[in-house]
Formats: sequence, structure tokens, C-alpha cells
Amino acid sequence: MRILDWIEARTGLRTLMGHALNEEVEGGARVQYVFGSVLTYLFMQQVVLGILLGFYYSPSASAAWASTAYLNDQVAAGWFLRGLHHHGSSAMVVAVILHMLQVVWAGAYRAPREVNWWTGLAMGGLVLAFALTGYLLPWDQKGYWATQVATGIMGSVPGGEPMQQAIQGGPEYGNLTITRFYALHVFVLPISLTLLLVGHLALFRRHGVTPPAGLSAAELKRKAQPFWPNQLFLDVLAMALCGAALVLLTYQTHGADLFAPADPASNFVARPEWYFLFLYQLLKYFEGPLQIVATVLLPGAVAVTLFALPWIDRAKTRKASSRWPVLTIVGLLMAGVTALTGIAMAEDAANESYQHGLEVAEKESAQARALALLGVPVAGGVAVFDNDPKNQTRKLFKEHCATCHTIEGKGGAEAPSFVDYGGRAWLTALIRDPGDKRFYGGTKAHKTMEPLSVEAVSDAELAAVVEYVHSLGGPELGASDAALVAKGKALWDGKLECSSCHEVEAGKDSTGPTLAGRGTAAWIARSIADSSAKDLYGDTAEMPKFAGKLSPAEIEALAQYVAEQRPRE
Amino acid sequence: MSSSDDRGAPDGAAHDPEDRSPEAASRRGLLKLGVGVLGCGLAAIPAAPAVGYLLYPLGRERAVGAFLPVGARTQFSATPVRIDLHADRVDAWSRERDVKLGSCWVVEVDGKLQAFSTACPHLGCAVDYEPGEAKFKCPCHRSAFTATGVVEGGPSPRPLDTLEIEEKDGLVAIRFQRFRQGVPHKEPV
Repeated sequence: MRILDWIEARTGLRTLMGHALNEEVEGGARVQYVFGSVLTYLFMQQVVLGILLGFYYSPSASAAWASTAYLNDQVAAGWFLRGLHHHGSSAMVVAVILHMLQVVWAGAYRAPREVNWWTGLAMGGLVLAFALTGYLLPWDQKGYWATQVATGIMGSVPGGEPMQQAIQGGPEYGNLTITRFYALHVFVLPISLTLLLVGHLALFRRHGVTPPAGLSAAELKRKAQPFWPNQLFLDVLAMALCGAALVLLTYQTHGADLFAPADPASNFVARPEWYFLFLYQLLKYFEGPLQIVATVLLPGAVAVTLFALPWIDRAKTRKASSRWPVLTIVGLLMAGVTALTGIAMAEDAANESYQHGLEVAEKESAQARALALLGVPVAGGVAVFDNDPKNQTRKLFKEHCATCHTIEGKGGAEAPSFVDYGGRAWLTALIRDPGDKRFYGGTKAHKTMEPLSVEAVSDAELAAVVEYVHSLGGPELGASDAALVAKGKALWDGKLECSSCHEVEAGKDSTGPTLAGRGTAAWIARSIADSSAKDLYGDTAEMPKFAGKLSPAEIEALAQYVAEQRPRE
Repeated sequence: MSSSDDRGAPDGAAHDPEDRSPEAASRRGLLKLGVGVLGCGLAAIPAAPAVGYLLYPLGRERAVGAFLPVGARTQFSATPVRIDLHADRVDAWSRERDVKLGSCWVVEVDGKLQAFSTACPHLGCAVDYEPGEAKFKCPCHRSAFTATGVVEGGPSPRPLDTLEIEEKDGLVAIRFQRFRQGVPHKEPV
């Protein structure tokens, strides 16, 4: 203890701690006093977690999502700490509401504690501002679009546009938006909240707890207990329960959502966090010029009412029974918020397009996060999808093939289109009219194959021929109907004389392309590499040779991409 | 009853809230212990995972770099050629495409290709090749090496660091690595 005495003599630390802890709780320690302490604990934990997240998070439009994905999916326990921080904000909102309800029930907003009440209201507002600014920081689809709605509302209010531009750092979201939200979330709001908290606690020490109204002054004295350890034990117990619930929730949800990187060109089913849903729902009832009712007037009226509560309350005593007007106002307010939240949730649960949008978003998120494990290209954000080999192939196609060929609805018409390429329906249409724009109509030289009219070959006969040609692709193209194939082969060799131009055995040269393996990725790859091979288009080939221009792996990838266009039949 | 509303600062002198009985004292002791234990548990919630979190990715095995193609076998001979090695580089969350990772000298020794890192094993300056003297020389502290990498003078504690080299179908590929400086044995970093 000599060390402690030494420290006490130099710093007076023990005396200071004594001042902080030795307080008399009039009427004794009570469970209903714990909410303020729980909030203080939650705030402190949020600060610690925020600092920890700061070790990996990088606030810029190009790095925010990538660094969040890294911290969430790669850094040891990153998902857990981020999840705690995320759910911690929900816990704070819940604790703020409980604290406020307790204060209202006890009448603790009344004289002489008005300034306690007002600092408390201000802190409640700051908690919501924390939530709003923090939501955007991962720069994922959810945060981006939900926050767009919030700043959009700000801009729609008369005179709000300059404010919106100031907070966004311009007319659009970008680097300046993220640095502003970051500075607010990480510096301005925590410092403001800390200052208010210090004032709030000092005022609380000045006025003490607000004990039950029914106890006489003598009883209050008689039942009094010391803050340390009686009340503090209850406080810490409540904190521990809250902490345990947070840990459990974080494990169960495996942390916080991280959707795909923000894509201003996409459309996303944006929803705010659950504690803002009532405002979101309210907005649905006030359209057009009335919107301001939901965005400013009603929330403003609520804020003013809460602020003025000490004056609205005209009761002579603090007893709940004499304060029914105030309790009714706050009760109706809570009921309204709860009802709106419930309706918003129920509407979303029944909204199929929203549920479908969520599914798509979750799929995209999983894909983006898996690709991010390889490192996000420095362009950041949606550039993560460039890691997808398929996207690289798409780029290759766009660069080398799309001038003449159409794929996925885009491209030129000088050469056959790859939309639904290679299946039975495609073959049927091709054989009926090879000169159609969709097939060889756009080419210069491929005009030799004659169209086959319904008079020349009936639909039933054609189906057999198509089945036969389809079967030449082998097992890669799926099973064939053997009877139909046999019928088709007879037509092929006999009546239709297809075999006079097309060979069906691999390696044999022929006037038209040899059809062994037709439609398989390997066959397409050979055509891409050199379509002028004797067993393909020979002298009539118009497509440039890509062997040598593209690597074998690139050609293979392109061929695979084209082969995948074949519809499932 | 309205008096409780006008209550001022607590007046501790008038009343001692602490019950001095031994039962009450032991109960308070238990509560204090409870506060301590629960408090430590609360602190551990963020603190325990933070340790591994903050140290990430230290101590994790780094992926061995791939062999990087540097060109045809025919461009190399007994005269060292300096080659830049390019590859994608992952820096925490971001990936840069095709950046220059470093350079090496490629030389044929007894009919076999060898690649030397250009980083001097002494303190990491880039060594140059002097064709007149057929020697590698470090411009910083005058370490000198023969064309086969052996130390000939200066402070370098070990020969030039060789890099893994691979020949296939007339093409040469090299695996880029960095090594610890200033120690007598070659240790990858």
C-alpha cells in the first residue's frame, strides 16, 4: 500500500476517486437508475472500438469499401470488433430511449433538473447523428443509398440545399463526402458528446437521483445507500448484461452487414437502420409539397415538445398520477414511433420486389467480398469486380470481338450474334435462314448456304436434323434423343444433301465447317484461333486469326464465354 | 412531498448512509468484488480480441511469389543483363497491377543461368555491373563481387543473393524475393 500512499501524496488520486464514488443515493440504490451508466459504458466501448477500427479503415471513396472488407473479412477478429461497434449503436439507441422513458416516468425533467433534461436530449440527438454518419463510412451499397436519402431530405427542405452541399462537399457524393462524414463521426461528435456528458454528470451530481415520489424526506434519508458500491454494483451488473447481449448478438449475426461497394449507377433497395424506419414510413404518407410535414414539421414538433416538457408539466407534485398529460403525450409519441416502425417492417416483409432486391444484393455482396480477398484494384470500390475472370473476358470480348459480334445484347451485326448462341432453337433458325442478320447476313462472303423453306423440309424433319447436328457436339452439349438423331442423320445424308458441304468427322476438310464438336468450347476456341483452318471456314474466313494475338488462355476464356450463351433446353 | 423536487446538493454531514455492522460491511465487500470482476469482464470484451487484431498480419506466412516471366533464354549470356521484374502487388486491401517489384542481374555461369538480386547484401543499395572489370560493384560502400557473385572486397557479409530461376520451352522465369541485409546467411524477409 506504500506505493498507493506515495501516489496519493503526489497526485491526490485517491481523494479524487473518493469524490467521484462517495455519493449518497437518497432512498437507496435502485435498478431504474442504471440506464445512464449503461449509456456511459456503451459510449466508452464505442470509442474504444472506433479507435480499433481506425487502425484499418481508410476514409476515401476508393479505399473505404476495400479497407472495410479487409478489416471485416481478413483481419483477425475484425468482423467481431466491427460487429460490436455496429450493434453497439443499436444498443445505444435502445438505452437512450429507456433512459428517457425512465426520466419521464420519474419526472426527473422537472425543476431543478431542466438543464439535465436538455443536455440529455442533445446527447440523444448526437447518438442519432453518430448512427447517421457512421452508416455511410463503409461506402457500401446500403450505407451509400440510405444516406443519399437522408441528405436528399435535407436538400428538399426550404433553404436546405446549401446545407446539403456543405455536408456533401458538393452536389454529389465523393471523397469530400466521406472525409466530412468521417471527421464528424470520429472527431466532432465524440468530442461534443464527451463535453455534454461531463456537464450532464456534473449536473446529476449536483441534483442527485430522482427517487420515487412517494417517499418522505425522512424515509429518503433513512433508506439512503452509498453509490459505491451499492448503486455501482447494479450499474455494472446492467452493463455486463448489456455487454453479454451485444457479444451474443454479434456472434449470432456474424457481425455487421457489408454490402457490395457503392455503385452510383446501380439501383439498390435502400432502407435506413431500424431506428430510423419510423421516419422512413412517415415519409410515405406525405407526398409532394406535404413532404415537409414528415421531414421537418412533425419531427421538429416532437423535438420542441420534448424540450418544453418541463414547462408543459404543470403538475404540483412529481407523482405519476398527477402528471398524466405529460405521460400521455410521451406515451402516444412512443406508440406512434413503434407503430410506424412496425408498419414499415411489415410492409417490407410483404414486399416481394424488396425481398428479391435484398437477395440480389446479398449475392452481389458475397461475390464482391470473395473477389476482395485477392486485393481490390487501386481504383477501388466497384473495381473489385475486375478481379472476376469473367469480367476480364467480357473486357476482352468488348475489345476484340464486339465490333462484329453481339453478346449479352451489345455489339455489332457484321458477324453472327451470340445471343442464345448454339442451342437447338438457334440451329433451327440458322438452317431456315442463314442469311438472316442474326447469322451470316452481315458478313460479306458467307452467302453459299441456301435457306431451307418449310416446303423443302417440314418443321418435324428440321427438328430431327437439328437434333442430329446438336448431337455432333457430343456430351458437353447434353443428352440427345437417339431416335430423332437417327432420323436426322438419314435426312442429312439423303434428301437434304448437307454432307456435300459439311463433314461430320473431326479433322476432315470440307467446304462448310466440319461439324464434329460443333458448339463446344474447344470448337469455338479453334474458330477464334484461326477460322481459316481447312476444316472450318477455309478460304472464305473473314474473321481475323487471334492465335498469336491473344494468349491460348485468353482464347479459351473467350470460347468458354461464348459457349455459355447456349440456353438451357 | 414536493420538497424532494427542490432538493439541493446532498448534505452528507447530516446523515451517514453507511451501515457500520459487520454483515453490511461483508455485503459491501462482496459488491465491490462483483464490480471488479464484472468490470474486468467488460473491459475484456473489446480488449481480448484487440490483441490479435492489432498485430495482424504479423507472424503470418507470406505467400511465396510466383515465377515471373522475363523473356527468351536466347537474350542471356556470360555478360550479365539487368532485368526488371513486374507483377501484381497486394498492399493490405489494394491490388496494383503490373508494378515493378525490383530488378535482378541474369548471367550464364558454366552454361546455366543464374539470377542475382540487385540489392547489395550489405545495406541494400543496387549493385551495378562494370563490364570493363567484369565485376559487380556497389555504389554505396564499395562492395565488389565477381561476375558469379562471389565477394571480392568491401563490407558485404555474403555473396550476391541468388534468385530462383526456371527455364521452360526456351522461356525464362524468375521468382523475386528480398533478403535480410547485413547478415552472413541469406534469409528471406
